[in-house]
Amino acid sequence: MDRRDFLKKSGAAIAGASGALSLPLLTACDPNVARPDSPLAGRKWGMVIDLNKCKSDCTACLDACREENNVAFHNDKRWDIHWIRKVNIRNKESEDDVEKPVILLCNHCENPPCAQVCPVQATYKRADGIVVVDHHRCIGCRYCMVACPYNARFFNYRENEEWPNTEYPKRSHGVAESCHFCAHLLDQGRRPACVEACEAGALHFGNLDDPESEVSELVANAPVKRIRDDWGTEPKVYYMGL
Amino acid sequence: MKLSTALQNKRLGVIVAILIVIVLLPFGFSGVRFAFARRDQMPDVFLEMPAADTSCVRDTEYMRFRHMDLLKQIREEFIRDGIRGDESLTNCRDCHTSRERFCSRCHEAASVILDCFGCHYYPEPDSGAGGSDREVDHG
Repeated sequence: MDRRDFLKKSGAAIAGASGALSLPLLTACDPNVARPDSPLAGRKWGMVIDLNKCKSDCTACLDACREENNVAFHNDKRWDIHWIRKVNIRNKESEDDVEKPVILLCNHCENPPCAQVCPVQATYKRADGIVVVDHHRCIGCRYCMVACPYNARFFNYRENEEWPNTEYPKRSHGVAESCHFCAHLLDQGRRPACVEACEAGALHFGNLDDPESEVSELVANAPVKRIRDDWGTEPKVYYMGL
Repeated sequence: MKLSTALQNKRLGVIVAILIVIVLLPFGFSGVRFAFARRDQMPDVFLEMPAADTSCVRDTEYMRFRHMDLLKQIREEFIRDGIRGDESLTNCRDCHTSRERFCSRCHEAASVILDCFGCHYYPEPDSGAGGSDREVDHG
């Protein structure tokens, strides 16, 4: 073996060894790999919103969300936080050119841009598909607010003084937050506060992985749309009558 | 060796020895303090026990000095993987009824900033109010 061959072969051996050794490190860094014993695995929560049933003057879901999750309301649009909100939009291409209310909340994307940009992995996707913020870990850099294409993320510019539901923690000044499908209620076997509060039956919630569930049947059979389906974020919030 | 050179060397040695002592003084002091800081000389606040129940989730020694590790561990398990055991910050307050007696006093003595209760509800029985002990300034 001459000098040239030796250098070639040893270089190839080092490259191969470093690749093989770094593979477990890379998989360990993947935020989407859940622990095998996690009780969350095997489900994928999703929501179907029937906008035809939603009334424009009703705010039951918005109020229920604030009450349940201690969402800050300062009565000032610079600092108000909305986990779920209602906007009136008009589709000029449709026959009836009237304003319709649209419920907007975190879409709990299958490929969440907010979780991809989070530098401290405070935002991540749980094993059941819910995109959550670990507020202990959040450093308040607001990258997720920039990354979210649905403007679902809000920042605590001020300390929240209101504390309507003492069973659930509030957030301190300086962290980002968004809807988490009331994960604490799901763990108790309940449904999200907005779904429980909606008397018109416009909000449907369930397991998208279960073909028997209400949401799966609606997604399969009803004319549903997702907001900006072409972006590849794969939202888990579907709309009827959008 | 001439006498003057030997004297000079001796003086040099003394100066070097003094310098070494000065440099090592802080380490020496902390070592001495650590050796003399016995558990029974610590403030009384360490020894307060809840009246309701005498059994905690871990032994007393562990809870006194390592409770923050346990809290962090159960927090990660619950938030990340949804594994909810019997141990939680909410369950602590069933026995440790007073935030002032079981948290704040010791944390003030150790000068460790405690900001759990800006977000987690743990009211003082006297005042009835939740909220943080102080204004947390996150800059």
